[in-house]
Amino acid sequence: MGSTKWLAFIVLIACLHGSISVYCQSSEPTVTLSEKNATLEKVLTAIRRQTGITFFGESSWAQVAHRVTISVKDVPYTEALSVCFKNQPLRYEMVDGAISIHVIRTKDYLLKGYVLNEKQEPVPGATVISRGRGKPSTAFTDELGGFSIFLSGQDTSIVIASISYEPKEIPYSGQTEIKVEVRAKVVELAEASVVGPAHTGYQDVPKERATGSYSQVPNAVIERRVSTSVMDRLDGVTSSLIFNKNVVPGTNQSTITIRGRSTILGNPDPLIVVDNFPYSGNINNINPEDIESVTVLKDAAAASIWGAFSGNGVIVMTTKKGKYNQRMKWNFTTSLTVGEKPNLYYQPILSSKDYIEVERFLYDSGFYNAKINDFRHPALSPVVEILLANNNVQYKLDSLAQIDTRRDLKKYFYQPSVSQLYDLNLSGGGKRDHYFVSAGYNKDVSNLVRNQFDRKTFNISNTWSIVPRKVELRTDASYVNSVTWNNNIGGINANYPYTTLKDANGMPLAIASDFRLPFVDTVGDKKLLDWHYRPLDELHNANDKTELKDLRLNASLRYNIWDGLSAAVFYQYEHGRSVENNFQSIKTYYTRNLLNSYAQPDGNGGYTWPVSPGDIRDKSINRFDANNLRLQLSFDHVFSPNHRLNALVGWELRDIEGRIDNTRTYGITPSTPDGVGVDYSMQYYLSYSGSVAKIPNQDLHYGTSDRFLSYYANAAYTFRQRYIVSASARRDESNLFGVNANQKGVPLWSTGVAWDISREGFYKMGWLPLLKLRATYGYNGNVDRSVSAYTTAQMSGFQNDYGQFYSSIVNPPNPSLTWEKIGMFNVGLDFASKNNRIEGSLEYFIKHGKDLIGQTAMDPTSGVTTFTGNAANMVVHGFDLALHTRNLTGKLKWVNDWLISYAKDRVTRYAVTQPSVTGFFHVNSLNPLVGYPLYSIYALKWRGLDPKSGDPLGDIGGKADTTYSAILNASVSSLIYKGPANPTFFGSWRNTFNWKQYELSFNIVFKMGYYFRRNSIQYYALYNGASKGSPDYDLRWQNPGDENFTNVPSRPAKANQNRDDFYDNSEVLIEKGGHVRLQDIRLSYDLPKRSYLRLPVQAIRFYFYANNIGILWRANHHNIDPDFINSLPNPRTMALGCRLEF
Amino acid sequence: MNSASRERIIFCLFITASVIAGCSKSDFLGKKPDTRLVIPTTLDDLQALLDNQYVMQETPELGELSADNFYMTYSVWQGLVVKEQNAYLWSKDIYDGIGQVPDWDIPYQQVLYANIVLEGLSKITPDASNQTRWNTLKGTALFLRAYAFHNLSQVFAPVYNPATAATDMGIVLRTIPDVNAKSIRASVQATYDSILSDLRQAASLLPAAVPVNNLNRPSQPAALALLARVYLSMGAYDQAWSAANSCLGMYSFLMRFDSLPSGKSIPVVNANPETLYQSVMYRSSGVLVGALQAKVIIDSTLYASYQPGDLRRVIFYRTSSGLPYLKGSYNGSAYCFSGMATDEVYLIRAECAARAGNKDAALNDLNQLLKHRWDSMYVFNPVTAASAEDALDSVLVERRKELAFRGLRWSDLRRLNNEGAGDTIYHGLNGQAHRLSPNSLNYVLPIPPDVLDFNKPAMLNNPRVDPD
Repeated sequence: MGSTKWLAFIVLIACLHGSISVYCQSSEPTVTLSEKNATLEKVLTAIRRQTGITFFGESSWAQVAHRVTISVKDVPYTEALSVCFKNQPLRYEMVDGAISIHVIRTKDYLLKGYVLNEKQEPVPGATVISRGRGKPSTAFTDELGGFSIFLSGQDTSIVIASISYEPKEIPYSGQTEIKVEVRAKVVELAEASVVGPAHTGYQDVPKERATGSYSQVPNAVIERRVSTSVMDRLDGVTSSLIFNKNVVPGTNQSTITIRGRSTILGNPDPLIVVDNFPYSGNINNINPEDIESVTVLKDAAAASIWGAFSGNGVIVMTTKKGKYNQRMKWNFTTSLTVGEKPNLYYQPILSSKDYIEVERFLYDSGFYNAKINDFRHPALSPVVEILLANNNVQYKLDSLAQIDTRRDLKKYFYQPSVSQLYDLNLSGGGKRDHYFVSAGYNKDVSNLVRNQFDRKTFNISNTWSIVPRKVELRTDASYVNSVTWNNNIGGINANYPYTTLKDANGMPLAIASDFRLPFVDTVGDKKLLDWHYRPLDELHNANDKTELKDLRLNASLRYNIWDGLSAAVFYQYEHGRSVENNFQSIKTYYTRNLLNSYAQPDGNGGYTWPVSPGDIRDKSINRFDANNLRLQLSFDHVFSPNHRLNALVGWELRDIEGRIDNTRTYGITPSTPDGVGVDYSMQYYLSYSGSVAKIPNQDLHYGTSDRFLSYYANAAYTFRQRYIVSASARRDESNLFGVNANQKGVPLWSTGVAWDISREGFYKMGWLPLLKLRATYGYNGNVDRSVSAYTTAQMSGFQNDYGQFYSSIVNPPNPSLTWEKIGMFNVGLDFASKNNRIEGSLEYFIKHGKDLIGQTAMDPTSGVTTFTGNAANMVVHGFDLALHTRNLTGKLKWVNDWLISYAKDRVTRYAVTQPSVTGFFHVNSLNPLVGYPLYSIYALKWRGLDPKSGDPLGDIGGKADTTYSAILNASVSSLIYKGPANPTFFGSWRNTFNWKQYELSFNIVFKMGYYFRRNSIQYYALYNGASKGSPDYDLRWQNPGDENFTNVPSRPAKANQNRDDFYDNSEVLIEKGGHVRLQDIRLSYDLPKRSYLRLPVQAIRFYFYANNIGILWRANHHNIDPDFINSLPNPRTMALGCRLEF
Repeated sequence: MNSASRERIIFCLFITASVIAGCSKSDFLGKKPDTRLVIPTTLDDLQALLDNQYVMQETPELGELSADNFYMTYSVWQGLVVKEQNAYLWSKDIYDGIGQVPDWDIPYQQVLYANIVLEGLSKITPDASNQTRWNTLKGTALFLRAYAFHNLSQVFAPVYNPATAATDMGIVLRTIPDVNAKSIRASVQATYDSILSDLRQAASLLPAAVPVNNLNRPSQPAALALLARVYLSMGAYDQAWSAANSCLGMYSFLMRFDSLPSGKSIPVVNANPETLYQSVMYRSSGVLVGALQAKVIIDSTLYASYQPGDLRRVIFYRTSSGLPYLKGSYNGSAYCFSGMATDEVYLIRAECAARAGNKDAALNDLNQLLKHRWDSMYVFNPVTAASAEDALDSVLVERRKELAFRGLRWSDLRRLNNEGAGDTIYHGLNGQAHRLSPNSLNYVLPIPPDVLDFNKPAMLNNPRVDPD
């Protein structure tokens, strides 16, 4: 815990003590009054003047008040009040130093009560409405099920209504306290994601009173899927949220996007909140079995409570908790998932036969001569070696042509995956406390041999009602320990397709990777380490293990000061530590190769070793400590049936201190377990590669610090239960920008309105009992950690050639740096037909990203060429439709969940434009172009193949041309925009059938409105051994006339990288990404209770789950799964599971 | 609970909030987001900026590329970036609209670093304990700024001509670290005045000893050697002689090439003992990289001029398929050395002596150098001369041979042609001969297009002509 936090804590304690002692000396104010037959208003005004106490209340009180005669001297004001209100048709209440005045109606009674369910558990959030001839009044139950409601004598009953319980009417005959028991509604299957309160992480907003946009993933949907990671459970079941599958490293892409992209260089990830606070650790630490529900906050009103972190949307996870007055319940879940080996044949490559044909052609043209004669002995493929040896060539090549490396890879490198999950939890509660305890264990054996993931999770949460209905303390502790073994990279270091990995005797076979095999066989005359590369030995000698620990302690104290007014303190401490130990023993090729490369001939046929022979250990320690503190006042009060105010105000502090320590140790042997130091400053001549290099220094040490102070307020006012106005404001300050920049900080805010049309008197559409319109507008923010307002030099952590640590100027000072702001407008319509046969919501949104971090070009004479600052804008618009239909409700139930989303972004301001078209084809750089989506597919104009040579024809000035360097260096105006690179239109259609104890569901997901670039033949890379080629080779232009039916360029005598680049980036390889996929199927069966009556078991459920089932339709005709353009598709998995409740 | 105690708690919560928020806010939010970030204020911070060898060591390549030490094949030429292709052919415009030219950008980045350090130093009042260090840092920053400006002036400004220097367009002289300052081209006279003033001051501040283990840091001899180089490029031979003489008075070591492992691919080690200050030509150059990359073929006349016994032929070059290629650099790497070394200072002193009519002094320095380059298996015959003019000719020939691929040839061509040498240089490419006439306007390279763009319309480009 940082020292500041201790200090804060001590100050808090000190303040409590200090101010209590000061405050105790004060006493009640006194008044002196002398009035005769004066209006009550006048007397109260006099009291206010003397005491400072204010009065408020229903406006009509002054008209009904009787006149007052009073004469008192130096009496406590309460005494004066009791005189004034004597025999008045009024009553008064003290509300924290103010007096609230109410008109006493003919019969004006306060009824207090509790609502409990059949299990005697409190029912929060239920509506209590009066019935009778009088005006109806309303109240809501609090977290403990308690409510208080004013009733008049004309009221004859109250009705308790709630989403999950049957409505209940209780006759009213003047009682003052009441206990109501309600019965749960018959459990609805797969509840629509449009119901339930929004958990914002600060408060729970009931759906009826929400103006903002959020979607919810209820527990049934989370449990539906079987997976180790909690995020996987959201895929395909969450409105407006999409998992990006083809993330390109180096382009600042997030794996999850909510409602499109609205930042360029800033943080692209949504904020993930677990219970009350942002989660700082690795999200894979969270055991999905501990999660009760997930709420996704999408628009300004819902998310702006998170201010500068909310620009990409917020995902709030609520963990399971116990309940008051609940018997002890045990839950045990276990499942076993088995997955196929991945389909290694999915990525098309050149067949061995064709590959050999190409190599032969190249050999005959003398292509390999330079390599053959190179004194560095660069690797030659087996085919080239055979041709060079020129002995029994045809036979040897024919037998190689029969081999496909993938056969051995699949055999030795891959295996079926097996995942086991065990989770045990117990929960329960008494009158004064409740608890939830869980332990989980996951063991995932990857489909890559020797890769595995083990996770243990522990959770304990307790809630104590210290003073019933007044003071509640909640504590949570969770601990995760996981171990990941990453020993298999899934491939080998050679591109030719005809290698075997074992010899005839079953011994691991060496293959040419860096050097020619004949060279490796003899080099160093046994005085160097064995220099062979044997892929199977590599697999078995690898030893890369990452151990991760995460501890989270959370405490909150809530104090109900007054009905509806409460104060709370929340605190969370989180500590995470991950240690990766990559032990590259001297047996590994990496280590042997490095040692040999640096070995220096000593002139006598021997070698000296700048890197001492021994194992190499790379250790990366990454740890963080996060402290969060929040003080919050909440107010929720129903002033009368027509007025309800819900507000909160708070202050928050966040501090995340991180530390990275990467170290490499060379020369570990049994006698030197701590390794042997090396001279990093020395340049060595590497005679085998003919270059000069220093010994790689992998040491890196630095700390990071993210600190935030935030102030926020949020209020919603409901009038006549049908008009809702909400507003929020938040200000964040951070150390990222320095104190000066914060002083000019931009507060983020939002406003919202909602109108429940169906509650209007004129609303007569009985078939559509719910119709609610809502709209919000406001600003969210976003952070970019990579920029700072400081003039900053950054220490490199490395030494220069002369052993000095040095620093670089990162960015010139930028004192005006500020948060990225995302202005967002959202309008939504909620509806439900009679009996909720069809319910759902339709929303439209538009987001304007302003002051986004972007780059500006600078006059290089200034010493910098680009300047990173608030220099870009973007806009995103789209809609979300969520629909829940109950198609059949009889014995056979059939429910449909439709999620359909559209989101498309466009860059509207960006200061740097690439000089030529090539900038838009580099896969690893992010080059926005104004007017187009941030991630776009661009292409070059295609003019067919040259009928004479089969060369691809580009376009220069409207004419077909083959000057590829000119085509690739043409200005941006010659780019053709094909479309967005990420799906713009996506969603899912989930079907759930229920019959007796059986439930069957399947989910169909679709992604549309995007494009991708298909891989095809690249001759330059193929010739140089950098590519496995493509079967498109067989379709290549070979003879004049072929250009009429193929677009694959001819095989050039001499490969030209520019020719390949042009073809690769031309229009002909652009494909539509649209596809529909049957994602998964689940079948579950609840064992009838009668079959295990004697067992102490309450419920038994068995389930079967199959995932990644297959594509139903795709727009491309090349059998490409657009979710996996450059990788292998996720293999199909099948799971069997069982859930027991005791 | 009564209302008073409720109020108390609320009161306390907010007092706490405001205490934390108010009193320690600047401390709390003042913490650096990354420990590697430095707001350069201390002498250590400033030293760390100057120790950034990777920024400081690079010098422009365009001059050497345009000079006459080598030629290349058409296929190598095709693989070059546009700027390199056109500079090799002395085209009128060499950039084809492509900005971000390292030959301009890198020296100005060095100038920014130097200016940040100078500004940082101005805010630190040195005391007795750190006065020496403060002086060294200031001397270093001034040296670096002068070095960068001089390198720029050899490429982007015309040769110094006393008659027209006051009106000839020089380079942009930035002396403050404000990145938003306007870029205005100074005159050639002002350019050299600034360089000389920085260097004279640097020479008085820098330590006398050459830091043999840290040649990224300049010393007084290095500043004097640079001063000699600058004066020589201006044709101010008397001053050049004085600076060279003072430099050699402090440090005059020469390597015996006989003792170098000539069989190695790079026989000269990094930070060799002749080095006074290290730097290399642009490291991402497509042309000027040695160490086994067969990019440039050595000019045959140049290669033939090394006599039997002259070890420079095997130390600097190698042959492959009968053609001579660049071997490695004078600093033990694949990059071309462009820093200051004693051999250059010997040659400057010899040239200036010859120009002053002192034949013996010139030959003495020249032979002292050549003796160290000679193979002990061969008899070394000292160079003789009938007159000071003869001696000057010999010195210039040896200057070319000793300092090839050190970035100095272009500067020498400009200077000597300006004095009437009349050297026309040729580059053959794909069967076509390209030539550059003496004193051609194309001896001054054009200003990068992005720089002109940012400073429209005030900044004028250098006048260029279509090549012959």
